[in-house]
Amino acid sequence: MKIFIFSSFFMMNVFTLFSQTKGIILDAYDIPINEVAIFFPDQNILIYSNNDGEFITKLDISDNSYINFFKNGYSSKTLKYKSDLKLKIVLDKLHINLDEIGVTESFNILGNSKLSSIEKKSLKDDFSASSSMIENIAQLSGVDAISSGTGIQKLVVRGLSGMRVVTYLNGMKIENQQWANDHGLGFTDLGLYEVELIKGSSALQYGGEAVGGVIYFKDNPFIISEVMSGYISAKFNNSNFLFGNQIGLKWSKNNFYINFHAQYSLASDYRLPNSTYLFNSRYRNRAIKFSIANRKNKMQNIFRYQYNGDEVGIPAHTHENLENVDIYDITNSNIDFSQDFKVTRPAQFIDNHLVVYENNYFINKSKLSFYLGHFINNLKEYEKWTIPAFDMVLSNTQIRANARTNLDYFTLNIGAQAGLMKNKNNIIKRLIPDANTNDLGFYSTLDYERKQFGLKIGSRLDYKKINSEEQNYDKLFSSLSSSAGIYFKQKSHLLRLTYSGAFRTPHFAELFADGIHHGTNRYELGDSDLTLEKGYQLDLKYQWSNDHFGLVINPFTHNIFDFISINPTDSLYDNSYKIFDYTQFNKVNLSGFEMNLHFHPHSIHSLHFEQSYSFIKTKNYDNDKVLALTPSNKIKTGVKFELEEYNLGLKFKTVSLYHLYSFAQEEIVENETVTDAYNVLNVALSFKLFDQLNVILGVNNLLNEEYVPHLSRVKEVAGGIPNPARSFTINLKYEF
Amino acid sequence: MSFHEAKYLNSFFKVSILIIKNKKMKKTNLLTVATLCLALSFTSCSKSDSVECHECHIAFDGTNGEIEVEIGEFCGTALEDVEAPGYTHELTEDYISVDGDTVPAGTYNEIHCEEHADH
Repeated sequence: MKIFIFSSFFMMNVFTLFSQTKGIILDAYDIPINEVAIFFPDQNILIYSNNDGEFITKLDISDNSYINFFKNGYSSKTLKYKSDLKLKIVLDKLHINLDEIGVTESFNILGNSKLSSIEKKSLKDDFSASSSMIENIAQLSGVDAISSGTGIQKLVVRGLSGMRVVTYLNGMKIENQQWANDHGLGFTDLGLYEVELIKGSSALQYGGEAVGGVIYFKDNPFIISEVMSGYISAKFNNSNFLFGNQIGLKWSKNNFYINFHAQYSLASDYRLPNSTYLFNSRYRNRAIKFSIANRKNKMQNIFRYQYNGDEVGIPAHTHENLENVDIYDITNSNIDFSQDFKVTRPAQFIDNHLVVYENNYFINKSKLSFYLGHFINNLKEYEKWTIPAFDMVLSNTQIRANARTNLDYFTLNIGAQAGLMKNKNNIIKRLIPDANTNDLGFYSTLDYERKQFGLKIGSRLDYKKINSEEQNYDKLFSSLSSSAGIYFKQKSHLLRLTYSGAFRTPHFAELFADGIHHGTNRYELGDSDLTLEKGYQLDLKYQWSNDHFGLVINPFTHNIFDFISINPTDSLYDNSYKIFDYTQFNKVNLSGFEMNLHFHPHSIHSLHFEQSYSFIKTKNYDNDKVLALTPSNKIKTGVKFELEEYNLGLKFKTVSLYHLYSFAQEEIVENETVTDAYNVLNVALSFKLFDQLNVILGVNNLLNEEYVPHLSRVKEVAGGIPNPARSFTINLKYEF
Repeated sequence: MSFHEAKYLNSFFKVSILIIKNKKMKKTNLLTVATLCLALSFTSCSKSDSVECHECHIAFDGTNGEIEVEIGEFCGTALEDVEAPGYTHELTEDYISVDGDTVPAGTYNEIHCEEHADH
């Protein structure tokens, strides 16, 4: 018996020993590198190398799983794991850190960044380092924001937004009534790690209907640690007296992992450059999320739940003709702290629940993934105190399965996706009716990479049935999307050409809208005869970098046929609300040019200079005019100086400066007005008060510029309502 | 190892364990406090709108824009009634605004109770 127990114990330890994965990370001189982030994206686990440059994990890593190695100041590396290969990783020390412009190598959920136009941005410090996640992401070239202050914001990618830019969160498509510009993202940066963005319709695995692109948000990975770790973060902004708090906790034991996050934020009306306050631009947010993972042998299960509740004021609301409104009538002279944090009217009340189950199984050279998700969005818009103008529940269930196989130089993805979406009104009064969609899609993509050459092809077949008994409407749409890309890499040069074609079915709102939409101050009218929208994009990219300089040049052209658009008519509803109707244009074009520069002087290694250029032109071939809401051209500049090596007092880390120059936008349509050029300058200083307490002091809009972005939701009200004035921010993050 | 060494080694480990326990305790206390604070702020709620009171007015479409005729404060179910479709309010005599505009006596159904900016 004793021998049996001893043998079993011995075998367990042997098994444990053999099931460990370990490696070492060195620089070019064989010196170990500590604190290298080692990310296993297929397992969603993050670990770090120790002081000897070693790492060890009990994770059972399947062959062909990706591993990404990253540390600031070193070249990052991504490899496919092979159990028979020793993990000795060499990272070259860089003079510079060329991240976030697609020059460094990393694993992307959305695909191969050499073959597709994928941008990536870290969000793990977004809460403490930026005033708004959307504004942070909008620093990427080709990306803009539609907003009215920081309450309601949404992203615009190369001039396209709403349903054309599909949002994913941890594998689940977010359906958030995103057809309207006054409906935001539906979640915050709580617990988020990074975001990937693909511009145009190249993300076939996720992109049924993503004519404009896919934005994929990812939660923080799990860690391997039986000692609980986490953070507490707080921030304050004196423009709208924003108080924001977040907490995050991570823990694991054996093969069980758990992440937990919670947030509460409260903001009042924001201050304009003339020191008045935009009435009812206030908001409140509550969010909670947790993720639980279990890993056994080659199978991994992840369960996620997230709740996000928003109460958002709708500013610049009026019953009069927008052109007759004076800004004096919609602003307050000061803030009443006892009243101006309370929700008033009109306002949106949004409750979002997201449940996602993810299963991954590794077999031989393949990874099988299964996603099951359910998203419930309840949107209530109140103009009156007691009776909502509309109260809708949009529930979306999605199932997705994907098989990824790596065969030498090929990566093959085959998958299917099915969805059931239901829009239900809880009251008689409605803007859009009860309606359902059922959709089914099949796709396949093949990547080939060998030495300096790469090729990608993919196709996707979608069926979508839209049904509304109220409207006596029952129609089936089908479409075939495709993409192809080719790249050639020679030393530090990379040249890529990508073609993509995607189709989008009309949304309920576009088909059936018939009512006042208080959030946009207009009466909206749908058209049940709308047909499929078809978009075709050609994207060329050239990139080059050396130790001190990085360059990316990216022109594109995008034709969209049967483009659905909402446009003003000459009629008024109830003598107050301008009537807007949905129409379809035969052909429109969006073309542009993006460029990114990174420069780091050889003599000052701590100085980073980054600049991006975004230029876009649109054309409506039906009337030979431009498209409404064409973003203005922009130059975005970031300068960062790292202070740690200078051993100044208070453990200063960085001082950074961000400058946005927006060119005037004079290419407009009838219901728009010209937008003047403007400059926005933000500065920030970060330091450590104690070892675990990070502080960021910042000033936004340092020059107190009075500007109205061309895409502002309140641009056509009262001659244009400016964005927030100069404001001071303080952000604290305690990590343990 | 002598008994004396073992005794002090034991004490050393006890102290070390105590320090670790204290640190863990501090961390746990800090976590508890932080979680409680967040839970409290998370559950802090504004008063239910249904028991709040708001000033309401008749919205009259005059030649120079909207004219507001105050009709008083309404609370709870009274507020629901005044906002309900079909509610009418009778103005028994003409109302003359500070700008000299006249809202004639009569029955009106355009009642608004939302707040406005203080300008």
